[in-house]
Amino acid sequence: MIVSEKWLADYVDLSMPQEELTDRLTISGLNLEGLEEVGGDTAIDLEVTSNRPDCLGHVGVAREVAVLFGSELKKPDPQPKATGAAIDSLASVELKSPELCPRYTARLIRGVKVGPSPEWLAERLRTLGIAVINNVVDITNYVMMECAQPLHAFDYAKLAGGRIVVRESRPGEKFTAINHQEYELAAGTCVIADAERAVALAGVMGGADTEVSDATVDVLIEAADFEALSVRRTARRLNLHSPSSYRFERGVDPEGIDWASRRCCELILELAGGELAEGVLDEGSEPAGRDPIKLRFPEIERVLGISVPKKKVRKILTDLGCEETHECDHSVKAVPPSWRADLTREIDLVEEVARIHGYDQIPEDAGVRMVTSSRSQEDRVLDEVRGVMVAGGFCEAMTISTVEPEWVGVFRGWSSADPLATSTSVLRRANCLRQSLLPSLLAARRTNETLSNRAIELFEVAKVYLPEASGLPAEKRMLGVTSGGGLLELKGLVEALVARLAPAEPLSFEPHEDPLFAPGRGAKVLLGGELVGYLGQVASGALDTFELRGETSVAEIDLGPLVERARLTRTADRLSPYPPVTRDLNVVFDESAAWSDVERIVVAEGGELIESVDFQEEWRDAEKLGAGKKSLLFSVQLRSIEGTLTGERCDGVRDAIVSALGKQLGGELRA
Amino acid sequence: MALAEFLAELESLAADAEGAFAAAANIDALEEARVEFLGAKAGRLKAVQKGMGKVDKADKPVAGQKLNGVKQAVEAAFEVARERLEGGGASAAEPIDVTLPGKQVRLGRLHPVTQTIREMKDIMGRLGFSAVEGPEIEDDWHNFEALNIPLSHPARDPLENFYLSTAGAAVASEDDSPLLLRSQTSTVQIRVMERMIAEAPAGEQPPVRIISLGRVYRPDTADATHYPMFHQIEGLLVDRGVTMADLKSVLRLFCQSYFANSVGGEEVHVRFRTSFFPFTEPSVEVDMNWQGGWMEMGGAGMVDPNVLRAVGYDPEQVTGFAFGLGVERICMRQHNIVDIRDLYTNDVRFLEQF
Repeated sequence: MIVSEKWLADYVDLSMPQEELTDRLTISGLNLEGLEEVGGDTAIDLEVTSNRPDCLGHVGVAREVAVLFGSELKKPDPQPKATGAAIDSLASVELKSPELCPRYTARLIRGVKVGPSPEWLAERLRTLGIAVINNVVDITNYVMMECAQPLHAFDYAKLAGGRIVVRESRPGEKFTAINHQEYELAAGTCVIADAERAVALAGVMGGADTEVSDATVDVLIEAADFEALSVRRTARRLNLHSPSSYRFERGVDPEGIDWASRRCCELILELAGGELAEGVLDEGSEPAGRDPIKLRFPEIERVLGISVPKKKVRKILTDLGCEETHECDHSVKAVPPSWRADLTREIDLVEEVARIHGYDQIPEDAGVRMVTSSRSQEDRVLDEVRGVMVAGGFCEAMTISTVEPEWVGVFRGWSSADPLATSTSVLRRANCLRQSLLPSLLAARRTNETLSNRAIELFEVAKVYLPEASGLPAEKRMLGVTSGGGLLELKGLVEALVARLAPAEPLSFEPHEDPLFAPGRGAKVLLGGELVGYLGQVASGALDTFELRGETSVAEIDLGPLVERARLTRTADRLSPYPPVTRDLNVVFDESAAWSDVERIVVAEGGELIESVDFQEEWRDAEKLGAGKKSLLFSVQLRSIEGTLTGERCDGVRDAIVSALGKQLGGELRA
Repeated sequence: MALAEFLAELESLAADAEGAFAAAANIDALEEARVEFLGAKAGRLKAVQKGMGKVDKADKPVAGQKLNGVKQAVEAAFEVARERLEGGGASAAEPIDVTLPGKQVRLGRLHPVTQTIREMKDIMGRLGFSAVEGPEIEDDWHNFEALNIPLSHPARDPLENFYLSTAGAAVASEDDSPLLLRSQTSTVQIRVMERMIAEAPAGEQPPVRIISLGRVYRPDTADATHYPMFHQIEGLLVDRGVTMADLKSVLRLFCQSYFANSVGGEEVHVRFRTSFFPFTEPSVEVDMNWQGGWMEMGGAGMVDPNVLRAVGYDPEQVTGFAFGLGVERICMRQHNIVDIRDLYTNDVRFLEQF
C-alpha cells in the first residue's frame, strides 16, 4: 500500500519527524518498504498484512497514526445533496446471488461533465502510481484509496433497462473488460449484468461497454461487498488482479460501504457536477451487529510477560475504534469496530494492546527455565555418517527432492509404484517426488563434468518418497554416493561406514543386476540379512542418459536400518597381550567360488583364534592354474587371549582351513 | 715391545679413527675410513693387533683387554657415523626439498546448509530444545487445519502449494484430504504436540520444548533469493507460564550465541515487529541488530489458542511460543553467498569452500 504523505496529513497530524512516523508504523504492523519523492509529495510504501485490509486506505493508516501518537483522526462526513428524482424510478438492483454478493448499493448522478480531474486529485493518484483517466473514474479510485472500499462507475445510458442484476455467469458467457480483452467466464463467476449481458466482473474489473467516457452524462455508482473467495477465484482464473480484487479478497468494511458511496457522490457533484438522484438502491443484508469481546486483564501478563495499566488497555481499545460495553476490576468488554474483522477473540485484543503499547516494552532478559535437551539416535547416526563420508573425501551435495519424470525409471531399487507428482513443477520439469537419490546425484555429477571439475566425489543424505497403498507415503532417509573411484573403493567406504556404526552387524553383499549397473558390476547390500542398499558401477547406457563422460560408481544406503542397528556407545573388549601369528595362503579355486564363501569357511574353521582374514590378491593364469581357475592369496592372523600360539597349533589351524576349503569349495593349496 | 708402547699405539689409533669417522661427509668417505681403520686385511687395527704378539707374555691380558675396548669404541664410532649419514635406514636417503607440496589428503566438506543447521541445533540444544523431524509430505490437517489456516485462507491456494497426485489421480490422506509437500515445518510441531497429549495421562498438559527442522516447499520461481525448496528451523515451547518475554529472551540468546563471532563482542538485541501468521497470536517479525541496522531473522509469536486446542492442549492452562527461521538466509549471510541457487548446484569448487 503506497501512502501519499500529503494526503495522509488530511486526516491526522503529521508534525512528527518522518523517521519516527515510519519507525512506529513499522513496529506496530505497517512495515516500511520504501520512501520515494514524487513531485512535491512523498510516497510511503507500507506493507499491509492480509489481516489488515482496513489499512489499504489512507483513513485506515491515519487511524493507526492517530492511535500511536495520541492524536485525533479527522475523517470526512460526506453528505451529498440529492436534488434529482427518486432512484427507484430510474434504476433497479436485483441480487440473485447473495452468497457471492452479500450487499450491493447503487447511487445515480445525472448530468455530470466528464473531463480531467483537478490537479490536486490527479497528483495524489500519481503519487500512488495510479493512472489518471477522467474525473469520474479518478474519483472512484480516489475514494477506494481513501477508505479501502472499491467502487465502480457505470455509464448509466449503456445499462440496458437501467437494470443491475448480480448473478452467476451463464455457461459460455463472454465478457469484454475495460482492458478490451475478451474473457470466457467459468460457470459460477459472479458478474454484474444489466438486463441483457454481463457489464462487470464483480469486484475484479468493469466492462468496456459501460465504462465512463467523455461522452458519458449519467453515472451509476456501485458500492458493494463481494465474497472474498469468489473474487480471488475469478481474479486468479483470468489472471486479472486489480486494486479492487486485492481489497475484496481481504475483505471490506461492511459498514463502510455507504460512506464510500456518499463520499464518491459528494466528490463527483463537487468536481464533475450533475444531479444526485434521491435515495439509494440497497440490496442484501445489513451487517450483523458484533458481540463484545471480553478481555481479562491478567491475560495480558500471562501472554506478554509484562503488565499494562488497565487504563492504558482501555484507551488503546477505544482509540482503535472498539466500543467498550463493560469494565470492571478484572476485565473489559468491547465491541470491535466493523473494519476490524480480524478481532474476534480475547487473544486478538491482547495483540492489539501489545502492538500499540509497544513490543519494545517486552524485556529480552527473562529468566527462561533451564531444562535438558536430548539428541535422537537418528541425529547422532546422521552426524557419524556425514563424518565418515567427509573423512572419505566426499563433499556433501544437496539436490532438490523432485526429479524429471524420466529419471524415476533410472533406478527402481526401492519401489515400482508410480511416483507422486506435484500439481505444478517444483523446478523446471522436475515434478516427480524421487524414489532414489542416484539420478539427482548423477545430474550433479554432470554439472561438475561440464565445469571440468576433476575430483567429483559427492554424497547426499536426503529422503526418498515411496507411495503406499493409502495415506502418507513412506519417506526413507537415504545416503546416496557417486564416486569417480572404482566399485571396490566405494564398497570399502560402505564397509567402513557400517564398521563405524554397527560393527557387530553382519554386512554382506550379493550380486545384483540392474539397468543402472554395468553387467556383473552391481550388488545388493545386506545388513543382518536385511536389504539396506545397492552398490554398482554405472552402466554405459545410464552414463549416456546423464551425458557423463567418466566412469562412476554409485551407492545408495537406506539409513533407517542403520539408525536402528547402530551401537553408538561402545564397550571395550579384553585384548590379548600375546603376539599374533600370520599364515599366508594361496589357494586355487574354480572361477565360481566367491570370496565371501572362502572368508566364511576360514572364519568358521579358525574359530576364536582368528583375529583377521586379509584378502591380498586374486590372479588368473590359464597355463599355470588351468582354464576357469583363479588363485586367491590371503593371510590369516591368529592370536589367542590365553597364551602365545605355537607354530604347530597355527599350522594345524591352517591345515584345517585348507582341508575345509578343499571339501566345500574344491580349493587346492598352491603354496 | 713394551706394553706402554702398545697402549700408546692403540690410543692414537682410537683417536684417529674416531676423528676420521666423525669427519666423513658422506657414506663413501666413511667407507674409506672404515677400510683404513677396520679393514680386515690391511686395516690399522689389524696391524696394531699384530703387534700384540711382541708384547711381553705377562702383559698380554692387559693388552688384550685394552685392545678389545678400543676395538669396540672404534666400531661404535663407526656405527654412530653410519647412522648419521644413512639416517638410521638401510639405504642412503637424499635430502628432501621441504618446500615441495605434501602428499594430498582428500577431505570432504559438509554442505554449508548442514553446517548452519548443525550450529543452530547445537545452540538450541544448549537452550534445552530437542531437535525433531517429521514427514515432508503432509495432509491437510497438519499443514493447514490444525495450524488455524481455514479452507478460505489464501495460503491454501493450489498455486501457493505443491499438491500431489499419482499417475494423474489426486492422492489423499486417510481422512480423504489432499496430500501436499509441506510449506512449513510447523507441521512437525502439530505432530509432536498431538503425540505428547496422546502419551500423557488424561488431562495432563505435558511441556513441549522442541525445534523442528527440514526441507519445505513453496512454488517460488528460482532466482538469486528464492528457491522452491528451502530449509526451516522452528522452535516451540509450550508450558505453563510461557510468555512473549521468554520468546524474546530465547531468541536473543540464540542470536547472541550464533553470531557471537560475527558481531565482535557487540551486544545483541532483538526487535519485534507486528506481523500476521494464522498459527500465532500475537505474531511478530524478529530482527536482530546487525552492522548498525536491523537484520530480519524470521517470524515468531505466541501459539494461537486455536492451535493449542486443535492438538488437545488447554489454552487456559498453558501458553506457548513458536518461531521460525529461514536456514538459507542465515547461512548465506554468514558465508557471503549471494545466490541461493549456488547452494543446490553442487559445484564441488563451491562446496569445497566451506
